[in-house]
This record gives sequence, C-alpha cells and structure tokens, in this order.
Amino acid sequence: MRRKTSPVQRILTSGVMALVLLWVLFPFYWAFVNSIKQPADTFRPGAWVPFWQFQPTLEHWIAELSILETRHALLNSTVIALGAATLSVLLGTAAAYALARFRFGKEGNANLTTWFLSQRILPPVVVVIPFFLIMRQLQLLDNVFALMLLNATFTLPFPVIILSQMIRELPKELEEAAYVDGATIFQGFLQVVLPLLLPGLVATWIICMAFSWNEFLLALSLTTKSAIPMPVIIAGAEHTRGVQFWYVGVRVLLTMLPPIVFALLAQRYIIRGLTLGAVKG
Amino acid sequence: MNAAEAPTLRKTDRTKLFFILPAVVWIVIFTLFPLLYALYTSFFSFRFGRLNQFVGGTNFVRLFTDDNLHNGLRVTLVFVVITVTLQMLLGFSLALLLNREMRGKNVLRALMVLPLFATPVAMGYLGITLFYEINGPINALLAALGWGAVPWLSNPFWATVAIMVIDVWQWTPFVFLVSLAALQGLPPDLFEAAEVDGASSWQSFRQLTLPLMTPILWLILLLRLVEAFKVFDIPTSLTLGGPGRATEVYSLFTYRTALRFFDHGYASAQGFLLLLIVSLIVALIFRQIRTVYQEEGN
Repeated sequence: MRRKTSPVQRILTSGVMALVLLWVLFPFYWAFVNSIKQPADTFRPGAWVPFWQFQPTLEHWIAELSILETRHALLNSTVIALGAATLSVLLGTAAAYALARFRFGKEGNANLTTWFLSQRILPPVVVVIPFFLIMRQLQLLDNVFALMLLNATFTLPFPVIILSQMIRELPKELEEAAYVDGATIFQGFLQVVLPLLLPGLVATWIICMAFSWNEFLLALSLTTKSAIPMPVIIAGAEHTRGVQFWYVGVRVLLTMLPPIVFALLAQRYIIRGLTLGAVKG
Repeated sequence: MNAAEAPTLRKTDRTKLFFILPAVVWIVIFTLFPLLYALYTSFFSFRFGRLNQFVGGTNFVRLFTDDNLHNGLRVTLVFVVITVTLQMLLGFSLALLLNREMRGKNVLRALMVLPLFATPVAMGYLGITLFYEINGPINALLAALGWGAVPWLSNPFWATVAIMVIDVWQWTPFVFLVSLAALQGLPPDLFEAAEVDGASSWQSFRQLTLPLMTPILWLILLLRLVEAFKVFDIPTSLTLGGPGRATEVYSLFTYRTALRFFDHGYASAQGFLLLLIVSLIVALIFRQIRTVYQEEGN
C-alpha cells in the first residue's frame, strides 16, 4: 500500500499466504474427506481427492443422522442457541440503547459498560457448581431451558457492546425529529433506532448463537440425557465407539458447520464483538 | 456524550431504568448471585452432594497442599504462556506481512474467521485423528520429512504439545485479524511523512507502527490471557487430561472435583483461586488499555 513491493517480496508474501491457508483449512478438509471415505480407504496413502483417488460415500452421514441421540442433540443445540441468542439480544439491545442515549451519573455509563463486559472475564468453572446446585433445586437439570438462560448470560456482553457503539454512531437528530413530531422515547426507539440497527442486530444475534452452540463446560455439567447438545455428544463419542475416522469426520462437521456458517454471515461484526468493542474491524 | 434531550427529566429517569434494568437484574441473578452462592459453598464440606457442615477456611487451606491442584495450575500456566506467546508473535507478524494491497486478502480474512468459530470440543475430537500415531496425517507428514512416529497422545510431553497446536491453530487468526484491522486504521499520512523524511521501513516500524499499536497489542494480550486460562474443551476431548495428569488443566481438575467427586465446597474454593488469578492479570493489564476504551468516549 505504502511502499513499493519488490517481486521477491510479493512471491514471499504469496507463499506465506498459501501456507497459512493450507494450515487453516486442512483440519476442515480432513474432517470432510474422512466423512465420505469407506473405512478401507481411511489409512490408504494418497486418498485425498474424491472420485479421482477414492470412491466417496454418504453412508456414514446417513448412519450418523439416523441415530436418535444425534438428531436429538442437534435439535437441543438448535433450541439452546436460538433461545439464548434471542434472550441475549432482547436484553442487550435495551441495555445498549440505555447506555448510548441516557446518562447514568458521572461515570455511570463507563462503569456499567465495564460491568457488563466483565462477564467475559469470569471463568465459567467458578459458577458451574452454584449453577448445578441451583438448577438441581429448581429441577432444571438436564433441561434445555437452563442452558438457554445461562448461555444468554454469557453472551450478553456482545449485544451490549456492539449495539451501544452502533447506536452512538447513529445521528441523534433522527430521534429528536421524531420527538418533535410527538413520538415517545419508546416509539423513537422502536420506529427510528431499531430499523437502522437491524443489520447489526442480526449479526449480533448470529454471533450469540455461535457462542451458545459451541459452549461445552456448562452443557457437560448440567445435562445427563434428554437435554444433551452436540458438543457433549462429541466429547463422549470415542469412548463409546472407539475412533472410527469416518464417524469422527461426520460428527465434527455436524457440530462445527452451523457456527462456522454463522461466523461467515456475521463477518463484519466479529472483530468488534471479539475485542469487546475496542477494535472496529 | 450528552444525554438525550427528552421531554421531562423525571420521565426520562424512569424510561432509562426501563431499558437498563432487565439486563442489570439478569446479571445480578445469573452471575452475582451464583458467585455469592459459590463463596458460601466454599466454606462448607459436601458429602454426596449435600451441604454437610461449616468447615471455615479448610477448603482454602487445601488449595495450598493439594499436589493435583498444583499440577493443574502448572499445566495451565505452561499452556497459557506458550500458546499466547506463539499466537501473539505469529498473528502479529502475519498481520504486518499482509498489511498491504494484494489479491486474495479479503478471501484470506474471511477464511481466518473459521477457526475462531470451530467448536473447540469438536477440534479436540478431530485432533484424535489428526494426531493419530500410526499413519495419522501429521505423523505421515513427519515421516515424509524423515522423522520417526511421534507418540502424540500417549506421551505426556507430546500430548501437551498436541493441545497447544490445536489452540494455536484456533486463536492465532484472532490475533491476526485484530492486528490487521488495527494496522489498517493507522493514519497513512504519518507513514507517508516518515517516508518523505527518509525513514527506513525498520525505522518507521520501530518508531511509528509499534508505539501506535502498543495499546491494541496489550488489549489482544489481555483478551487472549483471560480466554486461555479458561482452557477446558480441547484437553477434555483430545486427551481427557492424560496421559496420567499431563494435560489435566485447572478447569478440568475443578470440574472433576465438583462433578466427579462431588466435593462442591473445595471445587468452589478452587474456582475462586482461578478467578483471583485472572482478575489480577486483568487488573495489571487493564491500566495499559484504558486509553483504547476512553477514545470511544463512554
């Protein structure tokens, strides 16, 4: 951009870029290629390209998806992710609006923001025990509802920080014009701010879904049977059925594909979310 | 940031509470209350998951004498120091190298997001096949380079390395993406001026890029450290803490204390030690990054 790059430099950079891509993408390809290999092809050297080097099959996908536990886990994961993200975004949007547009004492806004963000500092293992005891008391152990509530809690910082920044970037005059026309603050929020916020809102919702989907420690601690989501299925898999590369591939992809697709959809807001608002990306 | 010029002040006061209170109450119920409950638990002994009797600071004294806990702490510290250092160095270098106009950069940036969202448990599980000792892809590659088979998952040292490799794979892109975004936000005219003044690339790196990037690098370091201390998913699915206790990280040990041995009081005390360590790190580094947030104007 700034300095002229010599051809040597350009070749070097391209080389590095190719290596990086290979390194980043290899595990995904490895999971994919194993998921469509016959067991006999698994350890055969040089079986990398389907159709050309080996005959692919979908039987492991079909077999895995016909297992009731797996289907149930996929459903649980979906319910938990959707519920948690929705809750988190509902609570977070309101809080974000308050932080962006109202004043809470002298340092109140900054302190409140820090307080919300400090959520991400807390190691989940600290609160796993009280959650376990509380959920047992409420008879919510092994219940997707419990995981929904807790994942909403741990993802709450994302909507709060991303959306409060976005609202600050919106011109306040739009709301003020609405007030002049007789709108209440609620109407201004719902009819002026929310529509402008929509892309960020959806992206935040998607990021919250990805994080809730990937969460493992709480899911492992609070589920035993009927509420088990995908990550917990995967963690116990090799001990029940041994390491069968083809099933590993299928299960890994079933688990990872949704959050990865989410990530690609929310691309623009990810850096902002992951740095808790410090870098816009 | 000025307050919204709303009709009457009193009405605004009530309205703003309406917006902020649900989230505040939520955090109080789901974070503050559990934390206090954990603190309360940590002063009791538990038998069979039942609150048994008040034991004062016994559970906290045990923190000092438990070799297995110290093992978990050591494993975690080694893991944190090595992985975060590697991620910072690799991620930032890569960002510097690719901070220029070039074809395919946007594609690269999009693809670098993938590891960040690849379910960590699933990555650990996939690692069982990647690090498979007989004819696994990594050992096959090493064999092609003329190395013998590495006992990845059966040797304590190599098992630790395997976990670190996956974590570095997963989080180097984070350092890269954030550094790159920050590098592209640096004012280009400063660098043009430096070039006009005859500064070498090295000089403008040392005297412009590095100082301007320092706050962001502290921030990345902080976020990575906090996250790395929570490590649980990858060792749990890849090595189950083994062989022996070689990869039994802190959170895994605490998890086992709580939900395998139902020693809730002691597990809570362990949790607080971890929280203390992480909070200390945050307190130490936060001063460095305060400026990053203050520029936001909140």
